[in-house]
Amino acid sequence: MSEPIIQCQSVSHSYSGKLALKQVSFDITPGEPIGLVGPNGAGKTTLLSILCGFLKPSSGSVSIFGYKPGDSRLCGRISALPQDAWFDPAFTIGEQLVLLARLQGFGTDQAKQEAERVLDAVALKDSWSAKPDTLSHGMAKRVAIAQALIGSPELILLDEPTAGLDPVNTRNIRSIIMEQAKYSTFFISSHDLPELGRVCQKVLLLENGVMSPMQHNVAETEGSTGFITLQMEACAADELMKALQELKGVIQVSNPQKNEFLVEYLPEKAPQMDIEILTCLAKCHWHYRQLTRGKSLEEKLFFTD
Amino acid sequence: MKTGLINHMLLICQFELKRLFATRKGWLYLATYIIVWYFILFYPIRYAADLLDRQRSSAHAGSFFEFLGFGSLLDWAIPAFGVYWQFALIFFPIMSVVIAADQTCSDRQRGTLRFLALRVSRDALFFGRYFSYLVIQFLLILLTLSATFLLVIFRDVSLFSVAINNASSILINLFLVILPFTAMMAALSVTVKSARQATVWAVLIWSFLAGIISLLSSYLPVLGMLKVLIPGYQLSQLAQLSEWEALQIAYIPVLQSLILLAIGRWIMQRQAL
Repeated sequence: MSEPIIQCQSVSHSYSGKLALKQVSFDITPGEPIGLVGPNGAGKTTLLSILCGFLKPSSGSVSIFGYKPGDSRLCGRISALPQDAWFDPAFTIGEQLVLLARLQGFGTDQAKQEAERVLDAVALKDSWSAKPDTLSHGMAKRVAIAQALIGSPELILLDEPTAGLDPVNTRNIRSIIMEQAKYSTFFISSHDLPELGRVCQKVLLLENGVMSPMQHNVAETEGSTGFITLQMEACAADELMKALQELKGVIQVSNPQKNEFLVEYLPEKAPQMDIEILTCLAKCHWHYRQLTRGKSLEEKLFFTD
Repeated sequence: MKTGLINHMLLICQFELKRLFATRKGWLYLATYIIVWYFILFYPIRYAADLLDRQRSSAHAGSFFEFLGFGSLLDWAIPAFGVYWQFALIFFPIMSVVIAADQTCSDRQRGTLRFLALRVSRDALFFGRYFSYLVIQFLLILLTLSATFLLVIFRDVSLFSVAINNASSILINLFLVILPFTAMMAALSVTVKSARQATVWAVLIWSFLAGIISLLSSYLPVLGMLKVLIPGYQLSQLAQLSEWEALQIAYIPVLQSLILLAIGRWIMQRQAL
């Protein structure tokens, strides 16, 4: 197993006496993108700010690649998309990205090429000469993501990367993360659970400043039982639940939301439960929208008994 | 691709110079500065220098200028530089408070500092910005001093070498004068939210600190020594000194700057970005 790149031990932080993070401890190893979820005010941005070195924790220790956050030896190895950070309106996007690349150690010509590359990656090459205040919210967000990609750092921390983006740009950002994930480890804080479910293999849950002791694995089945999440077109819920309950191997069927059903079953008794369910739906002329193996991320994180 | 503190500071300095010389806002500042100094040079300085030239031969000149509190003007080999010196001792500290007020505060409020802090140390940011504003002010002083120099040698080219000597002494002394003011603004800028707040605090510190120290020193006289830490404490003494003599008290602004920079750095290291 590889060495952790982020090690947080008993990290606490308070704002004017109010505790925002309480004894948060976790390790992150390099590899697949890792998500950080939690409700508003859970302390996600505080945690990311501490990891970036923008904020000093009130107590506890943080180590990134063996150094304290903010250590100059981390320059070029870690980058971030901070929340609510905007570029200087006096200079063009190109000028500012070149400066950031130069500060990261690139020579004059290399810095220009790198700035062009990252701007191209977020599909904003035409905005090279634009001033930040002429960009829309979504474009400004993409430029901020572009700066995080400069120099392909080993660790990239993203705070709400898709907040305020339209579906096309969300998809674009997702593909950038997937592509860059070959070279960098991403730690992504987001409210967008379906999006996190698509990108991240592991998710950490932070609630009221407390980190959940479990790292939730998105793909993993839970213990000896399996789950299938079924989204239906408008249908009679009682009849459908009754029909599903009668299938061999089904333990229980629940209806967490309108037209959404969660089937818990025993995989050793019904290894092809998905096929069984589809056959049952076809026989009864019910139309489904989506069938997913496992629980949705939302269900896993917030509604597990 | 490792880059050091000095390299980072140079890059930050270069970028800030670009802000003054290559942005529309910077050009506007420059144009305003040039217009203000055009009027200062062609009216108060030129006429005062002419008056001094004429009065020099008069037997009563010394007592007249002493009476006005400008006796030291007669010690200058070139009166125009003497008058410039008196103007500059008031103008540049004020300009320093205004121009250097936004070293880091608006960038911190906007979050721009976070993009930089991911790539450079807080020391590089703090000292890089401080030196940038020193360089900018040095260039602005040089600009007005060069204009005064040209004014002098156009009238009498034989004064060339004396003028160079006078101008050099003023340049170095004025640079020393602005050091603590810029350091004070650097320290305030890391503390407050806007340039306006920094300026207000600078004026309050400048105006009331001396009064508070005087009050305290009436109870404990040794505290009177603390006045030496107030930027501009030595300005009244400087006004009475001419040319290179002014360097006698150069230790005061240097000491003030070191203390203010240490305070500013301490805050910057602990400040949330």
